[in-house]
Amino acid sequence: MSKKQNIYGLLAEYKNPAELMNAASKVAEAGYQKYDAYSPFPIHGMDQAMKLKESKLGWIVLIHGIFGLLGGLGLQVLTQSVLYAHNIAGKPFLNLPAFIPVTFELTVLLSAFGAFFGMFYLNNLPKLNKSLFNSDNFAKATDDGFFICIESEDDLFSEGETEKLLLDAGALNIEKIEP
Amino acid sequence: MSQKYKYKPEPALVEGDHDFGSITKLISDIPQQATPKWWYIAFGISNMVLALLLGVVTYLIVQGTGVWGLNKAAGWGWAIVNFVWWVGIGHAGTLISAILFLFRQGWRTAINRFAEAMTIFAVMCAGIFPAIHVGRIWVVYWMFPIPNSMQLWPQFFSPLLWDVFAVGTYFTVSLLFWYVGLVPDFATMRDKVKGKWAKFTYGLFSLGWTGGNRQWQNYEKSYMILAGLAAPLVLSVHTIVSFDFAVSIIPGWHTTIFPPYFVAGAVFSGFAMVMTLMLIARKLYGLQDIMTVNHIEKMNIIILVTGSMVGFAYIMEFFIAWYGGVEYEKFAFINRATGPYAWAYWIMTLCNVISPQFFWVKKFRRSVVMSFILSIVVNIGMWFERFVITVTSLAQDYIPGAWAYYTPTLIDVLTFVGTFGLFFTFFLLFLRFMPMVAMAEIKGVMPQANPAFYENDKMADLAKGPGEQQTGKER
Amino acid sequence: MSNENQRTYWKSLNELAQNEEFVKASEREFPKEASELKDGLSRRNFIQIMGASVALAGLASCRKPVQKILPLRQQPEHMVPGNPLYYATSMPFKDSVYGLIVETREGRPIKIEGNPEHPSTLGSTNVFQQAATLELYDRDRSRHILQGDQQASREEFEAFCAEQFADTDQRIAFISEDSSSPTYLRLKQAVLDRFPNAEWVNHEPFSDENRLLGNEKAFGQKLRTYHHFDQAKVILSLDEDFMQLSDNDVENVKRFSEARRVKSTEDDMNRLYSVESAFTLTGSNADHRLRVKAAQIPLFLNALAARLSESVDGLEAYRNHTNEFSQHAWISVLAEELLNNRGESIVAAGMDHDSDVHATVAAINLALGNAGTTIAYLELPHVEAGDQNQRFAEVTRRLGAGEFQSVVIMGTNPVFTAPSDLNFAEALDAVPVSINLSNHVGETARLCDWHVNKTHFLEAWGDGYSYNGVRSIIQPMIQPLFGALSEVEFLNMVLNGEYTTGYDLVRETWQSFAPQDFEDTWATVLHDGLQEGTSFPAVSVSLANGFTEEAGQVLGQSTPVDEEALELVMKVDSRVYDGRFANNGWLQELPDSITKITWDNVAQISAATARRIGIPDERDFGDLDAHKIRITAGDQTVEIPAWVIPGQADNSITVTYGYGREGFGRVADGVGTDIYPLRTTENLLFHSDVQVERTGEQYAIASTQDHSSMEGRALVREASIEEYRDHPTFAPDMVYIPGEVDEKSISRYTLFDPQDYPENEPQWGMSIDLNTCIGCHACTIACQAENNIPVIGKREVHREREMHWIRVDRYFSGPDEANPQVLHQPVPCMHCELAPCEQVCPVAATTHSDDGLNQMTYNRCIGTRYCANNCPYKVRRFNFFNYTKEYLTTGEDPEVVQMAMNPDVTIRFRGVMEKCTYCVQRIQRGKIETKRETDLKKPADGTVKTACQQACPANAIDFGDLTDTDSQISQIKRNERSYLMLGELNTRPRTSYVAKLRNPNPDMA
Repeated sequence: MSKKQNIYGLLAEYKNPAELMNAASKVAEAGYQKYDAYSPFPIHGMDQAMKLKESKLGWIVLIHGIFGLLGGLGLQVLTQSVLYAHNIAGKPFLNLPAFIPVTFELTVLLSAFGAFFGMFYLNNLPKLNKSLFNSDNFAKATDDGFFICIESEDDLFSEGETEKLLLDAGALNIEKIEP
Repeated sequence: MSQKYKYKPEPALVEGDHDFGSITKLISDIPQQATPKWWYIAFGISNMVLALLLGVVTYLIVQGTGVWGLNKAAGWGWAIVNFVWWVGIGHAGTLISAILFLFRQGWRTAINRFAEAMTIFAVMCAGIFPAIHVGRIWVVYWMFPIPNSMQLWPQFFSPLLWDVFAVGTYFTVSLLFWYVGLVPDFATMRDKVKGKWAKFTYGLFSLGWTGGNRQWQNYEKSYMILAGLAAPLVLSVHTIVSFDFAVSIIPGWHTTIFPPYFVAGAVFSGFAMVMTLMLIARKLYGLQDIMTVNHIEKMNIIILVTGSMVGFAYIMEFFIAWYGGVEYEKFAFINRATGPYAWAYWIMTLCNVISPQFFWVKKFRRSVVMSFILSIVVNIGMWFERFVITVTSLAQDYIPGAWAYYTPTLIDVLTFVGTFGLFFTFFLLFLRFMPMVAMAEIKGVMPQANPAFYENDKMADLAKGPGEQQTGKER
Repeated sequence: MSNENQRTYWKSLNELAQNEEFVKASEREFPKEASELKDGLSRRNFIQIMGASVALAGLASCRKPVQKILPLRQQPEHMVPGNPLYYATSMPFKDSVYGLIVETREGRPIKIEGNPEHPSTLGSTNVFQQAATLELYDRDRSRHILQGDQQASREEFEAFCAEQFADTDQRIAFISEDSSSPTYLRLKQAVLDRFPNAEWVNHEPFSDENRLLGNEKAFGQKLRTYHHFDQAKVILSLDEDFMQLSDNDVENVKRFSEARRVKSTEDDMNRLYSVESAFTLTGSNADHRLRVKAAQIPLFLNALAARLSESVDGLEAYRNHTNEFSQHAWISVLAEELLNNRGESIVAAGMDHDSDVHATVAAINLALGNAGTTIAYLELPHVEAGDQNQRFAEVTRRLGAGEFQSVVIMGTNPVFTAPSDLNFAEALDAVPVSINLSNHVGETARLCDWHVNKTHFLEAWGDGYSYNGVRSIIQPMIQPLFGALSEVEFLNMVLNGEYTTGYDLVRETWQSFAPQDFEDTWATVLHDGLQEGTSFPAVSVSLANGFTEEAGQVLGQSTPVDEEALELVMKVDSRVYDGRFANNGWLQELPDSITKITWDNVAQISAATARRIGIPDERDFGDLDAHKIRITAGDQTVEIPAWVIPGQADNSITVTYGYGREGFGRVADGVGTDIYPLRTTENLLFHSDVQVERTGEQYAIASTQDHSSMEGRALVREASIEEYRDHPTFAPDMVYIPGEVDEKSISRYTLFDPQDYPENEPQWGMSIDLNTCIGCHACTIACQAENNIPVIGKREVHREREMHWIRVDRYFSGPDEANPQVLHQPVPCMHCELAPCEQVCPVAATTHSDDGLNQMTYNRCIGTRYCANNCPYKVRRFNFFNYTKEYLTTGEDPEVVQMAMNPDVTIRFRGVMEKCTYCVQRIQRGKIETKRETDLKKPADGTVKTACQQACPANAIDFGDLTDTDSQISQIKRNERSYLMLGELNTRPRTSYVAKLRNPNPDMA
């Protein structure tokens, strides 16, 4: 396991989305956990190929949305109907139809916050520096390169076998990433 | 090429011989090139106009709302007209980015980025007016839900307060949505640019994005949810703006047709504005391959449809005014078409109802010049629609003895002109420093992006091209 | 607008403060350092001022009379800071006084009401009386005695008088305004005794002289005509505006409206015929109105007299006389009406008509037996023999000829108002010593060797007779702000060369009125403001012998009128009268009842005349520019904007006096056009043939109402009295209001049950009777005075931003566009129970109170103006600029006008909305007092009166508690003619209207 200290992982480049996906499924079948497939754009079917579980983001948003709904309604009912109720145009203090727009807007706003910050939280971003950036070649990952990186943290990781697996999957090149 | 089309009956979203690399280059080079001269000129002008805006607003704040042409009957004038108009413009951006996304309209990717930018800047321009049109600008914050020393809170029955929340939410969500879309492209820029500071800045905004699929998974989810939220939001915003009028009791305002009618009008004017800007941008930056004539045609179709919806609403208003049998209502509408403001009414009809009908003709739909001219005509028309609704109804309502004719002052005009300074200042900065097309999304909709595409080796070879050589160099 | 026009009105109150013309003029008069108020209003003086009122508090409450200044450090009796004190006094106007009650605060008179005990006002007021407080606090009033351009002290003037008038044989010309003051007349007599060679003449540009002379011709005696309009069933007014611009208007309106008030189908109402050249307020309220050129009115009258002479004695002179009107439809109808109502009719002619017309009118009234029933002829103690206008012309001629060593001009302003052909200014030059007493350093004052500043009636002792001769007292409410002399003090100084207080002079006079127990009488008089049981003796009149012959001769000379000739009628103005009120911002900004024009006088012409002159005969909506025309009469020419107004007789131009002042005051200067140049001895009020041409210039007019048609909407609802009797509920039936049918079903028409109000609170409501309302605007200006409504200036009014809380909408209706009927409709805030304005305010700045008021919280308002937009009645007013601040703080001496403010009412700042509050300050005072006295929350009916209600001379406005089913207001609201304007909007207004009725003659239809 001493290796694990001196490398972060193995980065393999693939020719195109198809080969990347095929490689990814091989890696997944091999049972690796701490790896990821890098592409300039999301590739359809990759989640299944990598056997990823559903994203939890939906739940985060739902909770935020409920807060927005109750918060919005509560704000209005409390201020307009309870705390400082006054006779406005002879309308009842608890005038729910009039509260709908603000309630709706606040629900949307809170949900949006959930979706936005939730996503970065799940992707544990922001994290400005990553070992992967030590590879110059990896810059292509945001351009037209397709990569798989298996991290040395992974239990199954052993430099030789992992490299072989990646080459068999059709890697164009393989690079050791400094930690 | 021709064989490529065999597989794709739909016209290609990206024309010309492009692969991922060349797309990246095409877009990401723009911010790296030397600033073009025209940009400096345009930016200089925009700045001067922006200064003008600051000038007149200061004058307004010092002097009071009286510097505008308002009077005892018309409590609202150009300020509100401009507000509604700018907000309306904004709608196209969200519509393109959210609703077309949900409908899986791949062609949106070419224009959504700066359509959204336009939205944000348009809403900024709009937001100015509700803030400065009040009599006591220094206490405008009382519209926000904070108690004063007497525990007095805002009055939530008021459509104006709904506006505050609607427009506020709309701006925030649009901004988040826009930024989410930008993150992968910022990453691309980070990896492309040379300069230390540029790298750092783009790096900072890209938050360390790597493009790993585990990120993409959450990213796509988030993007989809935001789109799902933005879609009803964008509809709600102009609905609520229309409540400012519809909830009131004034004939010509008190109309149930307003919400759909306002939203249609908003999309209508918004698309027109996107069209105007897009046609300029694609020319200046040579993006004809990405923003193709097919895009223009698709947008023109939407303009035609929404324009006809607006026209239908005009007719429906008249019908209901007659059918409803309320004399004040009847008068309000007949008066619009024949009264002292008839000139405005007919400009509106000409620009909004007649002019889009040209787009029934394919030749016009696909003509850049025609699209450009009409897109501007439409926006003029939509401004007049808001003018007709706001002013004619107020100037002549229930009690003839209290009628008063509204005439704008020079300050009114300059304030409106000034907002263009604000808009274009920001828009030019955006063009200069940000990837103006969503590179990741464009790539995502290219045929090469689909793994199935490579099952045919021939196709794969075709698809290689420069990309292949590049990887070769790496070896 | 051309720059030329820019000059004629100031852009803002700031500019008003530096009105160039006035500054020039005033600097010419007194050097800058001289014209400062600081010494006038230092703290000490202010305390003195308050002390004075304290002294008065003593007087008014029948305590021992003190006439000294008390220092405030002793808590004065009666004076609780924050509580108003009310005193009875009178306002002198021409040769009568009007009884008033003045509200003072901490020694400042701030509001004027009519004196309910006093027959001349019966508790109401007209616009001039309402505006008198601002008159008092006019910053441009003269503040010093001037010898030439130099200030002089009172002592110096005293010395000068003693020395100048030592020689009692010298020839002195006294030119005085009309006055009914016994003290003044006593001194006048003393003056004439002391100076045997003195000549005394009254110069009142618009006196009732013609009427007096007419009566003299008819009855051989100069008698005052005193109409009892409440006694008359039929009234014929020939150019007579008895509701607004003739003396005793308040009482006239009171009496007229009483005969007009219809409570049920049983009641009758009088019938008013009006024959006139231009719409007067009276004509606008007529049941039948005939528009003829002013020149034709005598002919019309003669034709009528001729017709009547066939049936009644006393009109022999007119028998068999025929002219172009003899066959006129109106003549036979009117003759029949008048004959059927002998002793119950009134024929009246306007003061613009010559004495012959009034003689004929007098004869007709006598012949119809109206004399002694509907009309009393009163003997005046202060009447001058002969035609005052001729005597004045004569004196002026002699002045010019240098026949006098000195001239004393008191109150009047002949240099401005005298006929132009007299060249009074030159005549004045020819006199070695000229002395002038006036409020302003005006046109006359500037040309005199000595100018003495005159007190305002609210700050000096005086007395006078009301129109019908009730002896009344004028007591000061405050120390003279600028240490001026009252006319009696002045006259006494001329007489005796020494200063005696007005107080002593007046008391001296009144000694003779109550020889025994004078002190008690005096105290009572001060308390009541009048002396009980006094009045002018009514004379039982009979035709003067020789009248028939004279009248016959006059008839012989009467010639047919050239229809085509353009005549010019010159009237007093409904706002500034003859110019004396020109510097009063409230009045300048008050819309004229008919034209709705502020800040200007215009030439009123008919559409046909407009076409003839070659200017557009109608205006587009929003176009407030008028074409200027050049009017040439003889060798005199004026240029004045022309205004097309329906109901104007063709080929007849009506203009009003009093505008176009220079060096008179910051408000007055440069406003409107001076038409006095057209006034000549021959043509005082009337030119039969003038040349008119358009100048091609446009001129901006500030009119508060841009659209005059009701567009067929049921806003003002009216019917003839017959229609009313057939269908009593015609007014509410005009519009179907959901839910009104039965209250329980209301919830079917609203989405929710409305708020209900606490049991123990009163619920305020108002009702406006459109049948008695005459549209005089007294309510508007009363509201302005009560509620600290700022004057905003012509440009802002021109931008249609006027601030009046209660406006009077005026609509033209009827088939005949050339001679329409007029509808007047006062519109205050409706205080809707379901107020559209409230629900749209984002910050809850306008809310509903427990007693049903629609309240504005100025401090909370951020000024979105959404409420004003959403108000169907458009009664909300917005402070587009910092009007009040400019109004109250510009100029070097803002303290003066600040004194006019009502301390109970918040001053509104820039950017907030304001509107009628139902005078909430009065409501609260009423509630507090009721609570203190009876521990109830609901004031008794009638204890709370709104300012408009109190001022209204026609008692058209009622206000009170709706929860009290017996209250006046509740009863009126139960009236079958009571209706809600725009009630169909379900705003549930608290202000309702009582439908208008007309009483047309069936034969005329």
